[in-house]
Amino acid sequence: MTYVPGSPVAPPAPAIHVTGAAIGFGGRLLFSGLNMVAPGGRTTCLLGPSGVGKSSLLRLIAGLLSGSGRISADDGQPLTGRLAWMGQQDLLLPWATILDNVILGSKLRGEKVGLAHRDRAMALLDAVGLMDRATCRPDALSGGMRQRAALARTLFEDRPVVLMDEPFSALDAITRLDMQDLAARLLTGRTVIMVTHDPLEALRLGHEIRVLSGSPPHLSAPLTPDGETPRPTDQPGLLVQQGKLLHHLRQGGVA
Amino acid sequence: MRRLLPPLVGLLFLLTWELVVRLRDVPVFVLPPPSAVATALWNDAPLLLQSSWITLIITVQAFLLALITGVGLAVLFKQSRALEAALYPYAVILQVTPIVAIAPLVVIWVGYERVNLALLILAWIVAFFPVLSNSTAGLSAVDPNLRDLFRLYGASRWQVLWRLALPSALPYILAGARISGGLALIGAVVAEFVAGSGTATGLAWRVIEAGNRLNMPRLFAALTLLSVLGILIFAVLTGIQRRLLRHWHPGGAG
Repeated sequence: MTYVPGSPVAPPAPAIHVTGAAIGFGGRLLFSGLNMVAPGGRTTCLLGPSGVGKSSLLRLIAGLLSGSGRISADDGQPLTGRLAWMGQQDLLLPWATILDNVILGSKLRGEKVGLAHRDRAMALLDAVGLMDRATCRPDALSGGMRQRAALARTLFEDRPVVLMDEPFSALDAITRLDMQDLAARLLTGRTVIMVTHDPLEALRLGHEIRVLSGSPPHLSAPLTPDGETPRPTDQPGLLVQQGKLLHHLRQGGVA
Repeated sequence: MRRLLPPLVGLLFLLTWELVVRLRDVPVFVLPPPSAVATALWNDAPLLLQSSWITLIITVQAFLLALITGVGLAVLFKQSRALEAALYPYAVILQVTPIVAIAPLVVIWVGYERVNLALLILAWIVAFFPVLSNSTAGLSAVDPNLRDLFRLYGASRWQVLWRLALPSALPYILAGARISGGLALIGAVVAEFVAGSGTATGLAWRVIEAGNRLNMPRLFAALTLLSVLGILIFAVLTGIQRRLLRHWHPGGAG
């Protein structure tokens, strides 16, 4: 097991409550009256057909989108400054080295970037297998490597809450599985909300799986697969559940 | 082999030129042979180089001024939409008004005794717009997802500008600068033509003077030096662009 840098005595990650969320888009109401709880320290996967508004919901939680509804943490503290974000694109600055990209957040907060920052960043890069690429620029890396660098940057932020918007969807199938293993291992103990369109990904990583579908869209009751994450692809029952989810998604998409 | 083709074509062209002039006995005041131009370049070198220097200085000053004001104004425009709406039309008006038409005015206002300043202003007017419009486009082309990321990381307006918008816009700014460099030279030359007085002694004046005296070899020599200046500016700017963009956006160096 690789040593994962971070503060071992960090307070438990809070659960996130979404109450009465509504988002309008281009004069049309995307959804309204949406309620959801993402349990603290667990991974919640949001599935749904494209265009249903799952990414919008995530952006609403992140505060990147104006909508109505209450987003709160169950420990009563505001969420601002406790979020890390990982998107579908790696969002690495093309002109900065991988290392500089990982410590970007520190720089933006005006922290004096010292050896401690660098050591922690290097340890994270080691954890995602990119130690020897620290001084490369993103264009020298493959898509999978860049996404790993983005994961390292997300972890460097060391926030209790991590929001992920289809983080691995641009990767090929095998790389995606590897990334899922890595993410599940490194994100343990944080409250993760991950939007994905891949039922298998949700089933491997999610402690809870919620499906956003229908018209108007509503959230399904949480599905809680057995076993520890990341669940192996050959776990009995996984394929059956995947089939059920796919069926559910297709019905939701048609309705 | 490919790299040798352009000089080879040039050499062939010059040889044909020389031959045609000699065989058909074309008078020198109509078309001087390349050999006469080369002789003029050599004999008038002190005079012509001094003029080249003056034109180069005006061009470089106008270019740098255009770069600073163009990028600066684009940044201001991005901070305030109202300012952009208020000023952009005038930038366009400045751009579409033919420089030849306003040059006499500017020369009169600034005064013949400070004609180099007039040339600088005119060259700047010509060179300024490509930088402004390209920088404006570049600053608008920032990846909205990266903008969101910076927002989530609590970046200030200044940080977004300095760490995100300006680096993202750099390829655009450099593309604008490359156009602007060539235009600055054209502006300096056109302005000097219009000023049309011996108080400005750049290369354009040498062209006018030599033309008036029917000293065609010197006129051609001055033209040659103008082309060399233009190529030099283009090469330097292309070099800088390549260097700065080597690690930038994949394929962004074009």
